[in-house]
Amino acid sequence: MDHTIICRCEEVTLEDINNTAEKYGCSARELKLRTRAGMGYCGGRTCRPAVDAVVQEATGEEPGNNLPLKVQPPVRPTSLATLGGQHQS
Amino acid sequence: MRDIVIIGAGPAGLSAAIACREWDLDTLVIDEFPKPGGRLVGQLHQEPDGEWWNGIKETQKLVDKAEAFNTEIKCGVSVHHIEKVDNGFAVHTNQGVIDTENLLVASGAAESPAPLPGWTLPGVMSIGAAQVMTNVHRVRVGNKGIVAGVNVLSAAIARELQLAGVELHSMALPAVNTVTKDAGNPKKVMDGLVRIAHLAPSAFLRFGSKFAKAAWIRNLAVNFYPKGGVKMWGMPIHIRKAIVSINGTTQVESVTVCKVTADGEPVAGSEETIEVDFVCIAGGLYPLAELAAVIDCPFQYVEELGGHVPVHNQQMETPVEGLYVAGNITGIESSKVAGAQGTLAGLSIAKKNEKSNAELDIKIAEAMKQVKTIRETASIQFHPGINAGRKKVEKAYQAYEQANA
Amino acid sequence: MNQNRIIDHPVLGHLENKTPVTFTFDGKTYEGYEGDTVASALLANGIRQLRVHEESGSTRGIYCNIGHCFECRMTIDQTPGVRACLTELTPEMVVESGKVQPTPFSQPEDMPQTYADFTEKHTDNKEGDPNA
Repeated sequence: MDHTIICRCEEVTLEDINNTAEKYGCSARELKLRTRAGMGYCGGRTCRPAVDAVVQEATGEEPGNNLPLKVQPPVRPTSLATLGGQHQS
Repeated sequence: MRDIVIIGAGPAGLSAAIACREWDLDTLVIDEFPKPGGRLVGQLHQEPDGEWWNGIKETQKLVDKAEAFNTEIKCGVSVHHIEKVDNGFAVHTNQGVIDTENLLVASGAAESPAPLPGWTLPGVMSIGAAQVMTNVHRVRVGNKGIVAGVNVLSAAIARELQLAGVELHSMALPAVNTVTKDAGNPKKVMDGLVRIAHLAPSAFLRFGSKFAKAAWIRNLAVNFYPKGGVKMWGMPIHIRKAIVSINGTTQVESVTVCKVTADGEPVAGSEETIEVDFVCIAGGLYPLAELAAVIDCPFQYVEELGGHVPVHNQQMETPVEGLYVAGNITGIESSKVAGAQGTLAGLSIAKKNEKSNAELDIKIAEAMKQVKTIRETASIQFHPGINAGRKKVEKAYQAYEQANA
Repeated sequence: MNQNRIIDHPVLGHLENKTPVTFTFDGKTYEGYEGDTVASALLANGIRQLRVHEESGSTRGIYCNIGHCFECRMTIDQTPGVRACLTELTPEMVVESGKVQPTPFSQPEDMPQTYADFTEKHTDNKEGDPNA
């Protein structure tokens, strides 16, 4: 099987995603939650097209007009101080 | 409360800012990179007329013009969230919340990956990273490298690395996997090469560009592709060889390359090891639209534009009141198109406050025409179906307006 | 120092005299130029490995160089998680590489994936069971 890393942040491999899809027959969202692909430090910016392609093949879901994996704020890792209103200089 | 906040100080954002300031709007441009210019700063290529397109100079021209209009540009500001509030938007940044009536998201594109075994090793970088290091920071990314991915972007940047004296062994395809199935398919890659052939001083590729409109000739070219690759500016481009792995313990030491069939299947036993200390991953670009997504702007999937783009009309307005988009977030095209879209977006924003202004209406009509003219004459076209893609988005906007009327 | 600079360029011209900027990386002193980012200054000095993956320890360096991938996050002047590619080099900057972090939780594969898995693994000690 293929040990190529798809999601660099969480070190999720192609094999991890395919095995999970096969075992649980899950949706794109469920696959992401189970494997953590695209949920790491970068917020999925680097691997999003790759995860979309792998998930599409694994689940058979065609790309629709909605983003396959929802974008959640914050879209950059943010310190609690910033969220609490203390700004970096 | 600002009249307009522009996220992204690339060609689209800066051009929009200039237009907004010309119409006297209280404008703020923010960007998380320490310098303005976005991806424009790294660009360096020769136009068909022989003139050099120098991104550093082009950026300086835009910055000078923006400064002449007293435009406020703040670099080093990262946006992590945007909220829709009464009469506008609250833009959450690492330097506090900025309130604005209108918002232009000109966040550009991100690079698509071409995942390969070993691609997390230091020394493996996206081709855009190598471009900025070479042309902006004037840093050699390594002693000898290889490019994984043959497409319009990678060919242009490979040329830039060569110009700077950075040695490239060759360009080759990424080995086929679920993600790289098109980028690793010689036939599909040939289709793309035909579009950049006019950039290459090679009889083979010029032959290709003239005759390869017929699919059967392209197939012939793939089947009889020279074993030593086709040389572009002295560097071999291989579309019948693929990089199967990147090797090294703590950083890149070599790559393993194998021959592939015309369909991209690896030929067993053809593996060879090439010593390199850097690898550029060239998976292409996709519109970076996360900030439009967090304010619930509707999206449209348009392959010709590079993926999911925020729905918008020809004046660069989205269905979200006060939200505008310009540049590569609306689809992957050249920086010149991005600049023209930025000017148009800026004028559209000005129009919101100047409901009946004949001069402004004329300018908007001209700016719309200008976007189309530049698109038609672009020397680098990322996708042949760009016009069809643009029409799909326009239709989606109309459908959205009708549904919500 | 600065051995990887592109000094002469046929189109962009000669690299003008740049102002040197001194900084430290993991305790050693290096020199970059004014206008460098931390990432470009380190690469100019031949340093490619900027951190290791916090869990696996696999080595990482610059990947996107435009702030998207966060692969170049380092501790800069005591602030952890700062992107080297977006940080302008300033005199006497203290730059530290990213290290492996302790992982207090067990590996995901040890954890139940479904409720059925959970009940199977914990048939004898149901949560909240005072006799467990």
